[in-house]
Order: sequence, then structure tokens, then C-alpha cells
Amino acid sequence: MNRIVFSFFFVITSLIARAQTSDCACFVKGVVKDQHTGQPIVGATVLIVGQNSGVFTDENGRYELRNLCPGAYTLECRIIGYNPFREKLDLTAGHEENFNLLEQEVHLKDVEITAHRTDAPSSQPLSTISGSDLEKTRGQNLAESLKGFTGVTSLQTGSSISKPVIHGLHSNRILIMNNGVRQEGQQWGSEHAPEIDPFIATRLSVVKGAAGVRYGSDAIGGVILVEPEELPFDKSLSGELNAVGFTNGRQGVLSGTLQGGIKGFKGFGWRAQGTIKRGGNIRTPNYFLDNTGISEKNFSLAAGYRKKGLGIDVFYSRFDTKIGIFSGSHIGSVTDLLSVIENGEPFVKSGFSYNIGRPNQNVSHELIKAETHYHFQNGNRFQWTIARQLNDRNEFDLHRPRNDSIAALNHPELTFKLTTLTNDVIWDHKPIAGKLAGQLGISTLYQYNLMDGRPLIPNFNQFNIGFFWMERYVKNGWELEAGMRYDYRTLTSFRIVNREKVSQDFKFSNFSGTLGATRNFSEKFSARLNFGTAWRAPNVSELFSDGVHHGAAAFEKGDATLQPEKALNTIASIKYAGPKFTAELGGYYNIISDFIYLKPQSEPILTVRGAFPYFKYTQTDATFKGIDLSASWEIVKYTTISSKLSYLRVYDQRNNNYLVMIPSNRIDNQIKYELPEDAKWHKAYFSIGNLFVAQQKRVPPASDFMAPPKAYSLWNVQTGTTFNLSEKQQLEVGIAVQNLFNVAYRDYLNRFRYYADDMGRNVSLRLKWKFGA
Amino acid sequence: MKMTRKITWMILLAAAMSFTQCKDAGDDVQIDDENELITSVTLKFTEEGTTNTTSFSYKDADGDGGNAPTQFDTVALKPNKTYTLAIELLDESKTPASNITEEVAEESDEHLFVYTPTPSTLLTYTYGDKDANNYGIGLTGKAVTTTAGTGKLKVQLRHQPGSKNGTPSPGSDDVNLEFNLKVQ
Repeated sequence: MNRIVFSFFFVITSLIARAQTSDCACFVKGVVKDQHTGQPIVGATVLIVGQNSGVFTDENGRYELRNLCPGAYTLECRIIGYNPFREKLDLTAGHEENFNLLEQEVHLKDVEITAHRTDAPSSQPLSTISGSDLEKTRGQNLAESLKGFTGVTSLQTGSSISKPVIHGLHSNRILIMNNGVRQEGQQWGSEHAPEIDPFIATRLSVVKGAAGVRYGSDAIGGVILVEPEELPFDKSLSGELNAVGFTNGRQGVLSGTLQGGIKGFKGFGWRAQGTIKRGGNIRTPNYFLDNTGISEKNFSLAAGYRKKGLGIDVFYSRFDTKIGIFSGSHIGSVTDLLSVIENGEPFVKSGFSYNIGRPNQNVSHELIKAETHYHFQNGNRFQWTIARQLNDRNEFDLHRPRNDSIAALNHPELTFKLTTLTNDVIWDHKPIAGKLAGQLGISTLYQYNLMDGRPLIPNFNQFNIGFFWMERYVKNGWELEAGMRYDYRTLTSFRIVNREKVSQDFKFSNFSGTLGATRNFSEKFSARLNFGTAWRAPNVSELFSDGVHHGAAAFEKGDATLQPEKALNTIASIKYAGPKFTAELGGYYNIISDFIYLKPQSEPILTVRGAFPYFKYTQTDATFKGIDLSASWEIVKYTTISSKLSYLRVYDQRNNNYLVMIPSNRIDNQIKYELPEDAKWHKAYFSIGNLFVAQQKRVPPASDFMAPPKAYSLWNVQTGTTFNLSEKQQLEVGIAVQNLFNVAYRDYLNRFRYYADDMGRNVSLRLKWKFGA
Repeated sequence: MKMTRKITWMILLAAAMSFTQCKDAGDDVQIDDENELITSVTLKFTEEGTTNTTSFSYKDADGDGGNAPTQFDTVALKPNKTYTLAIELLDESKTPASNITEEVAEESDEHLFVYTPTPSTLLTYTYGDKDANNYGIGLTGKAVTTTAGTGKLKVQLRHQPGSKNGTPSPGSDDVNLEFNLKVQ
């Protein structure tokens, strides 16, 4: 629903006039309109940043700011559901002569802006990557693309499977909104990466902290928004072609987009996009990792129609991947694991190959969605989104079945088919008294999972309904926000116990709330505070797991009596944004009660493959507190230093202990030199960066087979530029070297840390050809 | 009111959509007999020159998890004797029980049984069979006891597709059980 990227534009008419008595008699007035509809936007806030003067647009979308002294200002316009828009105004230099003009002789300034609709609470930190920063991540998977944000790390299974981690929380505790639809896959597994092609998006955003009210249950750690560009309604044909090559894994990625309007059909727009990726065995500094190739084919189609207040969008995407799992990571028993740890490197050696053999996973994800919205004349807006997702995951074990006739079938040992239907209706009500803007919504989700093969999780049906209501009040540089939500969920599981079908019913329900404030002290300085709650019902793997996890040599057992976990997150940040220096400091304190985790049991459990360490899903109370700091400073002209620090401490309050699998603290520094703009060369830059990741020392004693890996430091260099080939054609070139010194390292949040080193040096070449409008 | 009607219409339609295509995952739950388990491991010691066979078993009828293993015998042998040791693996979760031993025999070039006594003086094992590449298998062999004592007998089935070289190192465990061993 909220994924519909929405554009609107402002027409700003600046009138500069001199009054007879005072110099401070300049005024700015204009109208705020919606680009799709051309209709005025009622109730938008227009303010001069740094001053306590702000007005709302009237029923005709008009606003007027009076009594301004000559000078430079930043005008800001905000409305719920849109990112704030800022525009610099100069009411001094070059305009003095205008002061003699009559009011009718207007200095007219038309500004057309494309702003993106986001529904994230404004008092929660929202980081966005788009444009050239996003281009630099092209070719990487979704989680890797997000690693540039402070407080965001990744949980990896080797180098090709990674999942985003926000403030130490991941998997089911993070929600991914793919094009406005809740991504529903088998998120519970650490080797189950999000099934999304990042090339779909022109914007990736992270909402940090509990955002349960707007996005629904599970958003305990945060929300990731994957948003494509607005469709090119009535525009001429345009497109882009991306080609990325990586030396490590000899990986190639090709992605293209074509888009445009349709001549003779006013209001139409369409887009077709596709990506192919192929890579072979990954090389660590000292050896290749056997069977770590990847093959991926994705495409998406979108079409839309706009007329007056009406908008209709349809979207279809298919993601299809085949990923080899490092064969040395298949562990039969604890003895196997201990001997590979002792050996220091994998027993399985190999050279380079593109071949993907067992073990491997083949995953496809299909999304079809339709969205429609309507703006009413009076300022109300309705949006309705329906979507259907099909997630088909097939996992092949290292060993084929011993029985030849079964082996010949080459069936996956594990198959999960998850079908999800979501349905969201959102009403943006018209502003009340010009000050209070808000949103009400109903979301439903129906889901069923069919599982086949080695028993792992049961089949289930799940139904969820949620109601939410949020309001925002803006006055005098203050922005206050409050919202609440109620969710009700039923879950019915079906499994075979002693050759009998057993079904079990679960019911969960909960309220979530959010309360926040934003204060703009001046044009450059602002502060935010947000209290948010979110909850998460235990998932089927936490309820019913019962078996050996072959990657971790652990016996994991679920508990059907688990209760939902609840998070209360306090998050505060201050931001200073000057012309040469920008800094943002954020702190968070997330209290999660009944936090579900795998608790080591004192007695090992006996299986035919020997005794395995025994872990049971248990609940405790955990606190996650941390600091995110980012700063950038232009020390001399064209040269910028930037730093990002992520610091996190997690504690198990009930047992007075640390928790396992918490990302280590890290600091990322970069120095970047940007060449002055040239007629032919644009945005040419050269940068050197270093990432230092500390050792995770806060782990429970004797909780792991080996101590968390040592700290590591990685260097990278990047350079790139954009050429204007012609008026309508651009070529962007980028070269990057990751792990410049080919350092052998292991990361605590990589499941393969027991078996092998992480990826060695990787040189990449990136080309992007863009043509048309 | 026109708008109220529109809202009602949208909500109704939305609600209707959310229930369409509902399928019951419960209909699809069925017993899967393709899945391979080893639920029982039996060591059969036959004293040389006699037909006295004593069997010692590990049994976990429902496989990993679920109910705990129901049987895990102590291997009791006499000192200074030579035994023929045969091993039998069964999957008794199926009806009829499937014989995994036969499947191991068919793929003998990928499998290796390893018998490790601790202390090593308790028992000496010699392979009695060979695969196509002349490496031992361990489906049958000779176990010789010496002095009396107690300890452990570790029984492993190493699955070594494509990497079998006669040593235990390659591959991973399909079976890894430590029987208590009593020689008296």
C-alpha cells in the first residue's frame, strides 16, 4: 500500500515587494498541488526553516508567508505521507532592483519536485540510499546494499546469502516492505535471504526501531522499504542498462529497464525490468570455497494509470535464484565440527568452478499486486492494495538419498511453499482544523505453508487482521505524532506425530503504540524522540523445531507454549546539517520482554549421529542499547571525510548474561575527493575507506564451539565518473576494490565462521548506460 | 452519502478479497515415506568357531527429536576372544522397516564404518570386506578382545561421496554412536 511512490509538485510563487514602512515586508506565497491530479493539497505545512512561522495550505492549496526580511531562507513543505520538501529561497542578492517593482510584476519561480511518499513515523530515524550512493552497491544482494547505514549489519551464510540486521535484530524481527507489500518468505531461517532483486528499487530506506503501528506486527527491530521509482506517466521511452563484473567468483550481473508512457493513451505508464546474475566459487585469500556459485534470474513488470484523483497500479515480479552452499559446511556430528575448527581451514578443497552442486537451495518468489487510490476533492484519500505472494523454497542436502530409485528422482530434501495474500485499506483523512493530519487503516493477511520432505516445520494456516490509526500535529517548529494499532492473529499448525495428523490452534492479539516528537530548532539543527512498541508472535520454527541444525551442529527444539515477544523502543536523535559539516547522533534503548532465543541446555541430546548440544527456544527479557553516529566534514574544498559508528550492547536481564549472535561494534571511515564539475565529466570521485570491526567480547561464557573471531580491518578504494554521451544519454562508470589487502578474516555473524575465511579481494567494474528522458 | 457508500464498498470488497483463494494447509499433510532415517543400529558379535551371536542395539524409533532413544545397550564381550562383527542399520519408522545396511552395501564406495575402542587395548578391529576401490567398508569384520576392562566403542558411519580414501577424515557422519564397552 504505502509502497506506491507518489509524486507531487509545488508551484512556488515568490513575490518580493517593498512596503512603505518596513524592510521586513517580503512575502512568499504559492500553491501546493498534487502532480497526478493537479489538485491542490489541503493541509500541507509550509514553513521557513529556523523560524517559528509556519502556515497550512487552505482549501485551495494556497499558502502565504508574510513579513519576511530580505535574506536567504529555506522553505519547507510537509504533509503526512510525504517526505519533507525543501527549497532554498534568496530574497536578497540579484533581486534588489525588484523591490521597486509593483506587486503585479511578479518574479516567478516554478519548481518541480518529485517527492516520495513514505509512511514511516517522522520522529523515527529514516535513512535512505538512492542515486549515486545506491549505484555503488549495484550487483550486490539486498542486505549487502544496506550495510552502508549505521546500525545496520548483516547475518551471513557464506558470501552469497545475507540477511539484514538492524540494531542487532534480524529475520522475523525485521519487516521488509517490497514495493509496499510485506515480504513473506521463510524468514525464520538464518540462511533464508530476502527474495528481492535490488535493481527493482531506486530507493532503499531503513526505519530503525520498533515501527509496529504503521507496518504491523514483527517490526520489532525496524523496517526496510524497497521502493521503485514512480512510473513514467505520459513520458517518452527511456531506459537503462547496468553491467557489473566482480573478479571474486568471476561474477557478472546484467540488469536492464525499459519504461515509458503510451502514445494516445493519456495517463498511462509502464516499466519492464530484468536482471541476470551468474557467479562461481568464491575465493578467500588462501583457498576457493567449493560449491559457492550463484545463478539468479529476475524480472518485473509494472503498469499504471492516473486520471484526476484516481490512480491504479499493477505490479508483477519474479525472483528466481539457485545458490550453492559451501559443501564443507555440512556437518554430520559435533566431532566433524570440532575437527574442522581445529584444522583452521576446510577439508574440502576445490578450484574455480561455475558448477552448482549439492548442497544448494533453489528459491523462487512471485509477487503480484494491484493498488488503487483516490483523492477526494475535500482532501480525503483512499488507498487499497491487494497482493499475492508465492514463495517456493527447495533445499537439497549434500547427500542424495541412499536408495537409488529415490535418488534418481532428485527431489529436494526440503520444500516449502508459502502462499500469502495481503490486503490493505488506508484512509488519509482530510486535515482537521488545518493542523491535524492522520491516517487510518485495516490490514489483513492470510497465509498457508505447505512443507514436504525431511520434517522440519509443520504446515500451517495463518490469518492476521490489524487496525491502525495515526495522527500528526504540527505547530511552531514542533511536530507531534501518536498512533496505535491492534492486531489479531490465528495460527493452525498441522504435523505428523507418530504417523497421526495432529493439528494445534494458536491465537495471539496485541496492541502497539507510537508516540513521537520532532523539534526543529533552526534550519540546521533538529532533534527527535520516539517511543514505539511492537510485538511478534512466535513463528512455527520457534514453536515446533525438533531436530539437528546441520550448519550449526546443534539440536534445536521448539516450544509450543511460547508467548509473543513485546518490544518497547525508545529512540532519540539529534541532527546538525550545515554546508560543510553534517552529523547525526542517535541513541536507542530497546526493551524486549519475552524475547525468544535458543537457550543452551545442560545435557546434550542423543541422536544416531552422536550427542549434540541441545538448545531449546526459551523466553527471557533482553535489552538492546546502542549508539549510531554518522558525520561528514568537508575539510578542504572537494575533500570530505566521513565516519560512521555503530555501537551495540545487548543483555539478558532475566539471566544476567549476554546473548549470542549479536553483531560486533564497528566504525567505517572514508575520505573522498570529488573532482570539480566539468562539461564532459560529472560527479568524478575517488575515495579510500576503512572498515574496522571489533571482536564480539560480550558473549555468554562457553556458549560456542569457538571464540568469536578476532577484530578485523578492511580497506577499500572506489572511483567513478559520469559521462554525458549526448543530451539524452549518460554513461556512468565505477571501479571498486573491496578487501584491498586480501585480508583473511571471519565475522561473528557469518555462519561459516567455523569452517572458512570470508571473501578475499574483490575488484568490480560497474557500467550504467542511461538513455531517454 | 456518496463517500460513505464508496468507503463501505471498498472495505467490503477488500474483506472479500482477503478470504478468497484460502486453502487449508492441513489437507496436504501426509506421511512421507521417501525420507531416510536410521532409527536402529545393531552390532552382532559372533564368537569365532561357534554360532553364539550376541546383539547390541541403539534404537530411536522416531528418529532425531520426538521421543528419546528407547535402547542403547552396553556391548558386553569376553576377554581373549575373536568375534565376527556384523552391523545392521534399519529404518523402523517405515512399514515395513527399510534396511539401510543393503543401501550402504550398494554404495560401498561412498561409505566407511569406523570402530574406535577407548582405551584402544580393549579391542582390535580388522575390516572383513572391500569396496570396488579396495578400501574397507566395515559391514563385516573381525573384532579381537584381549584383557578384561571397561571403556567405550565408538561406531561411525562415514559418508564420503567422491572422497573415500580409506581413512575416516573425509565426509561427514551418518552414524556416530559411543556404546559402553565391557570386556569381562
